[in-house]
Amino acid sequence: MKLKQLLALLMALGLVAAACGGSDDDSSSGSDDGDTATAESSDDGDSGDDGDDGDDGDSGDDGDAMEEGAEIATDFGVTDTQIFVGINGDLSGPFAALVSEIVESQVVYWEMVNERGGIAGREVVPLVLDSGYATDKGIENFEEFAQEGDGGVVMITENTGSPITAAIAEDAADNDLLVIPLSWASLWPAEENVAILEKQTTYCIESMNGVEWLKNKVEADGKEAKLAIISRPGEYGLDGATGAQIAAEELGIEIVYNGIDQVAGDDRTAVISQLVDSGATMVWTTVTPGELADVFGQAVSQGFEADWSGNGPSFSYPALLPTDLAPLFDQYYWQSGYSVPWNGNDSEGMQELVSEMTARRPDAVLSDQYITGWIEGIMAETILTQAAENGDMTRAGVVAASQQVSIDFKGISPNQSYNGAYNDIVVRGSYIFDVDAEAFNLQPLSAGEGSSGMIPIEENYIGTVAASYQFDGPCI
Amino acid sequence: MSFGRPLLRTSYEEDAAILPTWFQKGSAIVALLLITLMALGFGPLAAFPKFLLGNTWINPVTLTIIFAIAALGINILVGVTGQVSLGHAFFMGTGAYTAVMLGGNVGDEESWKACVPFHDNLGLLESQGQCGLGLPIWIWLPASGVVAAMIGVLVSPAAVKVRGLYLAIVTVGLVFIGLHLGRMLPEWAGDFESGRKWPKLDIRLWKEEAPLVELTEDGKWFGLIHLSEEQKQFFFLFAIMLVMLWFAKNLVRSRTGRALQAIRDRDVAAEVMGVPEFKYKRLGFAISSAYAGVAGALLASYNGRVSPIDFGLLLSVDFIAILLIGGAGTIAGTMMGTVFVELLPDMVEKFTAWLASKLDAGGPVGLIANFLLTEGGEGDFGPISIATVAPGWPMSTFQWNFVIYGTLIVVFLIFEPLGLYGVWLKVRNYWKGWPFSY
Amino acid sequence: MEIFIQTLAKAIALGSIYAIMGLSFVLIFKGTQVLNFAAGAISMAGALFMSILIADRGFPFLPFTNPLAPADGETAGVALWIVHLMIALILAAILGLILERVAIRPMVGQPLFSMAVITLGLEIAIRPFNLDATAITGRSVGVPWGTESWELAGAIIPKSYVAAIIAAAIAFTGVYFFYRSRFGVAMRAVAFDQEAAMAQGINVGRVFAIAWGLGAALAALGAIFFAMAPWPPAGTVSLEIHPIWIFRVLPVIILGGLDSVAGAVAGGLLIAIFEIFAGQYLSQWTNILGPGYSTIVPYIVMLVVLLVRPYGLFGTEEIRRV
Repeated sequence: MKLKQLLALLMALGLVAAACGGSDDDSSSGSDDGDTATAESSDDGDSGDDGDDGDDGDSGDDGDAMEEGAEIATDFGVTDTQIFVGINGDLSGPFAALVSEIVESQVVYWEMVNERGGIAGREVVPLVLDSGYATDKGIENFEEFAQEGDGGVVMITENTGSPITAAIAEDAADNDLLVIPLSWASLWPAEENVAILEKQTTYCIESMNGVEWLKNKVEADGKEAKLAIISRPGEYGLDGATGAQIAAEELGIEIVYNGIDQVAGDDRTAVISQLVDSGATMVWTTVTPGELADVFGQAVSQGFEADWSGNGPSFSYPALLPTDLAPLFDQYYWQSGYSVPWNGNDSEGMQELVSEMTARRPDAVLSDQYITGWIEGIMAETILTQAAENGDMTRAGVVAASQQVSIDFKGISPNQSYNGAYNDIVVRGSYIFDVDAEAFNLQPLSAGEGSSGMIPIEENYIGTVAASYQFDGPCI
Repeated sequence: MSFGRPLLRTSYEEDAAILPTWFQKGSAIVALLLITLMALGFGPLAAFPKFLLGNTWINPVTLTIIFAIAALGINILVGVTGQVSLGHAFFMGTGAYTAVMLGGNVGDEESWKACVPFHDNLGLLESQGQCGLGLPIWIWLPASGVVAAMIGVLVSPAAVKVRGLYLAIVTVGLVFIGLHLGRMLPEWAGDFESGRKWPKLDIRLWKEEAPLVELTEDGKWFGLIHLSEEQKQFFFLFAIMLVMLWFAKNLVRSRTGRALQAIRDRDVAAEVMGVPEFKYKRLGFAISSAYAGVAGALLASYNGRVSPIDFGLLLSVDFIAILLIGGAGTIAGTMMGTVFVELLPDMVEKFTAWLASKLDAGGPVGLIANFLLTEGGEGDFGPISIATVAPGWPMSTFQWNFVIYGTLIVVFLIFEPLGLYGVWLKVRNYWKGWPFSY
Repeated sequence: MEIFIQTLAKAIALGSIYAIMGLSFVLIFKGTQVLNFAAGAISMAGALFMSILIADRGFPFLPFTNPLAPADGETAGVALWIVHLMIALILAAILGLILERVAIRPMVGQPLFSMAVITLGLEIAIRPFNLDATAITGRSVGVPWGTESWELAGAIIPKSYVAAIIAAAIAFTGVYFFYRSRFGVAMRAVAFDQEAAMAQGINVGRVFAIAWGLGAALAALGAIFFAMAPWPPAGTVSLEIHPIWIFRVLPVIILGGLDSVAGAVAGGLLIAIFEIFAGQYLSQWTNILGPGYSTIVPYIVMLVVLLVRPYGLFGTEEIRRV
């Protein structure tokens, strides 16, 4: 009952806002190609006075002919008043804790967008389905989103996990349904995956940066760089470990233990014993937090001393910093990531995120995951706005629009473009954080304080290997 | 044939018939007709499943058909032969991987990466991925049954040696060993999480380009009727299930079936009466595994992509639940159990969504909705959360589904050991004697 | 040599935890003829009770707080921690009693397999509540000694290992003497023949209740000691232990025999020694054995033993009647 009233109120507010005209005109990047008109979220509604500045020569639409919202071509998931987007999330499986926060912040993002008048005068309605990280349920959800009628969506703004994304990739291409995967695996550069939008950097590049940073750190401490790599089976593990291996080869680091694919099953004694025997001074991990706790905890308890780091999902502050290992993580572990942590810098994007989330979800607990949901929201909004400007909000039109945009994350993550060759557009910057167990203090947003314990030391770090590496396909 | 006296049978054939009465024959035909019309999207008939399961109802229903085939297999082993097995998932996996080896994409030195989805820029793999032979479905589908049956025969000696709960746990070991094999052999299994692609369900005569019967594209069938991809697969799998059903029913009422039941009821007594225990236990394992193999192959092909973890222990547990909720040892019960276990979660979800839409309606429905559902606001209580995201209490429908599922197993075992089939028997007997049903 | 000592300590510690879980299974099986698949859910619930007592200082829906609990950011002393442990075990026992009364008692006399599957149903039904409570963050169980360790001849031995061994020793002694008590004899009589036991004036219902109460408490004890660093959840209750927990213990009880107290301990130690030593000393053959091979070592050992001795090392052979 509350939801409907709220929505009605939001729509009313949206209309008022739209009638008042553009209030906050943040000029979008538009730095690379002048002709891609991007992300002008405020004044594309029904005010109708905005002749496109420079027409999109490449997309072959009829330019200014369709400048009114009513004349936008649509097929499924877009009505005259609403735009439906799908979220195929893991809200009850192994990643539920992370994903539910990501979804929450994306929902807040759409609330904000709708309050500002929506996209092309239409309200954005996110539909959320739970996959539980099970492939067949994920496929079923996808089919529901892809249906050509009521309940169908115009794009999927989040699809949790590489396995499910891999399972639906082909169908997504067949249905022209644009998908933003919640996965950083470098699997999607190929031509046939045009409907799958890679976002931020990839595990592979993240590993290159992380290993290079670790090497510099270890050598600065006066030790010899000897690398151990441990990873779990699966695309995530292989992608991250491959990046680490590439970096080690390019930088001439000796790999004293190569544990690619070795963290499997419930007993990791074999990995731990080999790791401890190897005499490594730096360890790169591509595992899950539970596996990290096991390997890290037992290795350190056997007197193994080294600098550890790993791909973003290896470490999870809410799962690992309340444990007894927290001081050890503080001492030996360096977290890597894809964006700024909660309230981690003063950028415009971060201020907006913090104020919006705090205002709309005062009881929610502080989390770095909100940034990821926000980024998905910004991506989807930019693409849908571009599609509306092109006058084509069909599913195919949205896929086409995604290839024209450059997205400005306003300082919370490296900006991203989909307009160019893969090696030119792939994001090569990652973030490196110091784990600070003392600072770790999860508070409700309304308290206005607290920290995830992730203290940025490098923002948008691009190592020499990552800067120059040329990809001829996925890393793995 | 004696009209008017329904239970009087004058010949053995009559007594053992699959559908002994005219009424049952008639209702079977009507049911088939109804299901066909429903799947064809015939207006009012299709509205019913649409209400229960949503617009895309044909997907979960098709999955249920595949599960029914596997459930028929576990019924033969557990329900009819009395050998408790939690290893059904392992045999399904065996069938699935046989299918992909025989029917999967043909590859060579150059193109194997297209078959098994990992690339190997750094030479991490010791050998290259294994492509399939590209054989048609009429070879790989029976073969997946046969190979699974052979593995079942290999396992069966354990069933003679180890009994009861011990056997159940040995078969748990089988599932874990299967998972380990999946990890050990990425060249075969593909990526441990996202797996590899399976041959599509098209029917070909041999390896020709255009399939004889197209099952994976929307379009006309035999130049007669326009069907969607989902409808075509539904009819194809439904036909396979009917054949498997017919075979299972015949098996149970044959000499072999009676021998299997004798072993279930008292193995030593059966042996004394001249039923060789080992031979029939082996047969039970073989047939059950064959069903599992076929179902596994179909499941993998239908999903298009499957990974080793999909054949984990939870899948086996599903089948035990199907058996107990449906009623062990009966074919009808098995089918009812499958429908119940596989479709219930979707129905609960749809029901919750429907309730949520009635929150403002007032009246008794609105009251119930208000009592059960919560949007997470202050003072809004209720056990089921319908907010988009709801970690912690109250729980989402997805989690409540598990609670309902587990509770149902407990409730059925306590109150109705014969399962849904027992409920059906009671209802039938009540109406048979009506109005003197006491 | 240090490596050998470290490995041995780890193996014995893991074996101790397996043994505690094994004892829980055996108690319940001996008393009620139920193979308790719900042990995973019960044990995790027990660990959660511990966490709620010590970290949250009381249950959210009860009006009083726990006066004993340490203040925020402090750790309880060993004695205080043990007091909390006892309360958590009692709560777990109450949970066991409730489950027994609701689901197991009505099933008396039903086939073994039906009883086992009922517990499977319980496991599935309880799990969402457990997962829900641990969904967002790791929940601390306030282990006083954290990650501290002792050094012995150059080998580093975490205090948690020693604690687990002591806990297992106490649990085994307790169960051993329990079986020699008057009540233990009654329990054995019930396990042997329920009707005959009833005819002798033994209250079978009470035996069932006691078996489940003690079994649930032991399961919780196992989970709490497995929730200590350096075991994977490292001082917290987490999603990690729960799903795998019970299936790691099954080979233990099968190896020892479902109804043998000594068997549970011997099986636990044996399985853990095979598992940990295989992990430590066969690791250079991982390429052949496959990653994560030590996980299936218990199952291989179990299969081999069962084919030679179908009722485990110490189990009683079932007499087959016609």
